[in-house]
Amino acid sequence: MAEKAKKALKLPESGQWPDSVVPIALVGAAVFLVAGFLMAFLYASPVNGAALSEPVLVGDQMVTNVQLLSQKIFYFHMPVALVSFGALAFAGFYSVRFLMTKEQRFDTCTKIAMEIALLFVVLTMITGEMWTRFEWGLWWTWDPRLTTYLILMIIVIAYFILRNAIDDPERRATYGSVIAIIALVDVPICYMVTRVIPSSIHPVVLREGGMTGDMGMTVAVVMIGMIMLGFVLYRMRFRQVRLTQRVEAIKEQLED
Amino acid sequence: MSVTVKRPSTFTQYKTLLVKDLRQEFRTKEMLTSMGIYALLVLIVYGAALAQTAQVFDILQMSGGLLWALIVFTSLLGLNRSFTAEKEQGCLEGILLVPLDRSVVFLAKATSNLLFLLVVEIITIPLFYFFFLTSTTPSDSFWLIVVPLVVGTIGVAGIGTLLSTITINTRGKDVMLAVLFIPLIFPLLYACVSATTAAIVGGDLFMETFTMSLALAAGYDVIMVLLSWVLYDFVISV
Repeated sequence: MAEKAKKALKLPESGQWPDSVVPIALVGAAVFLVAGFLMAFLYASPVNGAALSEPVLVGDQMVTNVQLLSQKIFYFHMPVALVSFGALAFAGFYSVRFLMTKEQRFDTCTKIAMEIALLFVVLTMITGEMWTRFEWGLWWTWDPRLTTYLILMIIVIAYFILRNAIDDPERRATYGSVIAIIALVDVPICYMVTRVIPSSIHPVVLREGGMTGDMGMTVAVVMIGMIMLGFVLYRMRFRQVRLTQRVEAIKEQLED
Repeated sequence: MSVTVKRPSTFTQYKTLLVKDLRQEFRTKEMLTSMGIYALLVLIVYGAALAQTAQVFDILQMSGGLLWALIVFTSLLGLNRSFTAEKEQGCLEGILLVPLDRSVVFLAKATSNLLFLLVVEIITIPLFYFFFLTSTTPSDSFWLIVVPLVVGTIGVAGIGTLLSTITINTRGKDVMLAVLFIPLIFPLLYACVSATTAAIVGGDLFMETFTMSLALAAGYDVIMVLLSWVLYDFVISV
């Protein structure tokens, strides 16, 4: 009987306090992202591109350069990339926690953080590809950030392939955590190696102060929206997976 | 009458495990022959792949990359094999029953993989030179490619041993090792190709690129081997 009570305590729990924040965060994400989208096109000033052969009158202003519409990609590209880093950092944190405690809960956390990371990494790749095509005029270049992101994406995909190839849950969790930790150490090295060896053509936006106030504002709004979106997706997926595990555990208990 | 058994030192354990691997290889010659033949076959493929261009373009600039592509694919084959025998013949269970520090197992296995890879490289690099570089004049610093080769192979053996221990227990392990190994080895590969090419091509600025790339490769080695060493306990104990 005592054993049974102990087992009942071990049911995978879900629905902690962050779940109650989810609806608010969801609304917040929608509001901020829509506002960010509108701001990117209406509020942030256009950026000058190549010089025109002769000045043109647009509205009541003389324009001497091409106004780059493609630069708007940047307002979504950077926040998405930063959120993907955040998700990966969480995945790394939870995999260390798993190896420390061997609690299945942390493995679920790692897996879901990785899923969110994969989503945002792919979004970064798509927006980044659009950027290289329209801003730099080429589809692909082995630039440090592109290379690193490609490697990062492949490692995250490899993480899921590895998980699918193992049946035993404990082994799957351990191997997954080990790979997640190695990958997170590998990616910064990859960035450094590709950055130091050839010259880079990526603008270092934040450090050199290449953004004006209105651009910074727009990025900040989209950033908040994306963080909220990432959080909402994470919590909802976590809740779903944990409830599935809980149902499985209860079923097993009833069978005993 | 009491019998006292002295506990073997860590170094003795390491030496025993290493000698076991070497002896097994010496008797079967399984890994060295398969890796050597595979490397030779890749060289033949290169011969066909470069046949139409050899007269026109500068092979020296590409040779660093070609050499490292050869090493990566050959080491994939070897690493896949390195735990198969242990698993099939139940040797791994035996080792795990012995009360020894798990990281010793890692170090011994990594060392034996490193030695096999180096032997294969000693055979294939003269062959590579023979097939592709005799018609050209590499720079005087050509012999310096030994340094990136050793540094790179240490990293390949270190991380490869950890990954092959992981993939030995998965479905479709051959593909799985490649899927994990190639992206994780990428920074090392990039730095080593840069250092090797710098040594082969030479020129005024070669020393700068060479030392920079080597420093990065060595940094990768130190970090990754230490990390693999720490994490190995988790991997092999499950």
